[in-house]
Amino acid sequence: MLRPFRLEEPESVKEVSELLGRFGESAKVYAGGTELLLAMKEGLVHYERLINVKNVKGLNELASDNGMVRIGALCTHRQLETSPLLQQKLAALVRLEQNVANVRVRQVGTLGGNLCFAEPHADPGILLLALGATMVAERASSKREIPAEEFFVDAYETCVEPDEVLTEIRVPVPARNSGVAYLKFGYLERPSVGVAVAFQVQESGRSIHDIKVAVGCAGPAPKRVPEAEEQLKGKSLDEATINISKAGEIAGRAAQAISDLHGSQEYKEHIVGVLLKRAFQNALSQYRAVQS
Amino acid sequence: MQFEKEVEIQVPREKVWNFIWDVDRFVACVPGCKEAKTIEAGKLYSATMIEKVGPFRVEFPTTIEVLEREDLTRIKAQASGADNKIGSRMKLSLDVKLREQGEKTVLGFVAGVDILGKLAALGHGIIKRKADQVLDEFAQAVKKHLEGDS
Repeated sequence: MLRPFRLEEPESVKEVSELLGRFGESAKVYAGGTELLLAMKEGLVHYERLINVKNVKGLNELASDNGMVRIGALCTHRQLETSPLLQQKLAALVRLEQNVANVRVRQVGTLGGNLCFAEPHADPGILLLALGATMVAERASSKREIPAEEFFVDAYETCVEPDEVLTEIRVPVPARNSGVAYLKFGYLERPSVGVAVAFQVQESGRSIHDIKVAVGCAGPAPKRVPEAEEQLKGKSLDEATINISKAGEIAGRAAQAISDLHGSQEYKEHIVGVLLKRAFQNALSQYRAVQS
Repeated sequence: MQFEKEVEIQVPREKVWNFIWDVDRFVACVPGCKEAKTIEAGKLYSATMIEKVGPFRVEFPTTIEVLEREDLTRIKAQASGADNKIGSRMKLSLDVKLREQGEKTVLGFVAGVDILGKLAALGHGIIKRKADQVLDEFAQAVKKHLEGDS
């Protein structure tokens, strides 16, 4: 049963930050509430105050400028999966969002809430890592940009400070000579393994000059795997296709997979390799389709 | 969940053994352990275990019972506690062994940890990882404490 709490209704980021600073650990930001309220109903956490951020203007806007998509932290998954702007600029994120949980969750759950709750079996953070996204966190008097690699600290932990508010997610639009894919595997709605790959091919079409590989869900928090990227960076597309199995093995070991009811550590490591191979092939097909 | 740990400590076995029975110093090495009390020396103790995973915090008032004791060699103990606020229980069985290795002592322990109730909703994997971290920190803290003394 949900225990009583006080609902604060601030209208600006400054007010939210001040409330967080004033009430410390007894208060929590409340956005979509799809994970927070469940945990509260279960009695796993209790807050004396919930700070409803849905009245803060401008936090649910989507925009694009200078090769960057700016996603307001309060954008719901549904808003993202149905956005024509996102479909045009970040089709891989749209495909991911179409498969987050179920439509009832997507209707109210927000991207910012998903990232801040940092539930280990969440999809978006993995792809955002591969896309080189930046999170914007604000407090009453300051604002900072956090690279996605630094954002996730551990299971249910991010580097957002207690009085900071995640306001925006900035995602560079992949260039025309890019390939991007996210694949996941799991039972029902909760992925047990998620893998993302994003690469950019040299203008000459000869080799991959930038690639990001990210894994998640198998371990406590999503993470980039530079050792796997090294196997593919600077290689021709044919060489990279050969090396992808080796990169998959490396990514599997780096995933910090945990044995649980979804599968053993070894099983998840293997699945990471399989998914990376498929995701790379998927991204490669997209790249070739655009080039032809 | 079963864990096995071993740590080499550069001090004689007797010193390690005496340290284990010095409740205040020993408790300082157990992450999240507070308010330790001796109820019956050598047999029964109480303490409060506090752990956090992200926003989730548990507080287990715990009773620790020493089941077997072989001087300088082995201690077998069990502990249990309940956090009624979040409706979860914790059970721990601990088998500690001390082995001489020249001037050093090898402190090994096998720990069986069970978390029951709502906390299990966090997922077996997360809890297992946290328990593993706590035991690692404990082993390293004991080593640091004892080697710092010598």
